[in-house]
Amino acid sequence: MNVDRGFPFQLQSINMGKSKTANINEWVELYTADLYSWANYKVSDAELAKDLVQDTFVAAVEKYDGFKAESSPKTWLISILNHKIIDYYRKKVRQPVAKEIESFSRFFEANGDWQESRKPNNWQVDEKEEHLLDDNNFQQVLKECLDALPEKWSTCVKLKYLGEKNGEQICQELDITPSNFWQIVHRAKMQLRDCVETNWFNN
Amino acid sequence: MWKQTGLTIRVMMKKIMHALFLSCLKATELIEKKFHFKLSFKEKLQLKIHKMMCDACSMYEKQSAVLEKGMESHHKHSHEECDIEQLKKQISLNLKEAGN
Repeated sequence: MNVDRGFPFQLQSINMGKSKTANINEWVELYTADLYSWANYKVSDAELAKDLVQDTFVAAVEKYDGFKAESSPKTWLISILNHKIIDYYRKKVRQPVAKEIESFSRFFEANGDWQESRKPNNWQVDEKEEHLLDDNNFQQVLKECLDALPEKWSTCVKLKYLGEKNGEQICQELDITPSNFWQIVHRAKMQLRDCVETNWFNN
Repeated sequence: MWKQTGLTIRVMMKKIMHALFLSCLKATELIEKKFHFKLSFKEKLQLKIHKMMCDACSMYEKQSAVLEKGMESHHKHSHEECDIEQLKKQISLNLKEAGN
């Protein structure tokens, strides 16, 4: 992305002799587009990405004195933004989920066997998988089912794709234990699978 | 009486099977764990044998993989356009209001 597009200043023009307001205003002009696409890539939600970019600039004003002239303003802003993104996810993961939703008893008997009515049906998609994943209607059902999950869960299942992280990195960022993480994912996928089966394959 | 003994034996057998080769609840948990973390040798073996005996869990694994792929492509497709100029204006305005 060309951040200099149509803009009269050069990147080098960030000089500390300028006032704080002038510098910040210049950064808004120069870096908003890049910060936004980074945020949107990491959270996959346009409105949320905009909010995070705004918060980043507010924080930049507050922390302005901590900015060192020798580092690039863009790197500095991105690091603030990254903190905002992680904070956002941590909050989501800490949200409590009601006990009755959290329980597996909808899907499993007390001894750990599948409930007869909740056993996975055959989706018969082996050869048609590509087809299915390209189907906009299927993607729509998947999206609706994801949106129907408690936010704590959908955050955990989506995180892997937001920045292509592995399990350990995700746990570190979210400050949760691995077993806690995969148990949330387990519970979320159980519900998601059931929802997709009901709304797509059984329709 | 025989009927009851038969039932008790079946329950016992099931308990032993679950202890050795996992319940479906535990098997599906390991299936999800496997997407993000490495399983131990014991877990791999238990899961493999469980799936040989359990169609529902084998099916679950395939479907869960389909959902993983679905979410991946969903993420790639879901970037909306954003009016950057509008966003810049909004940010400048906010900063002014905040007393910058």
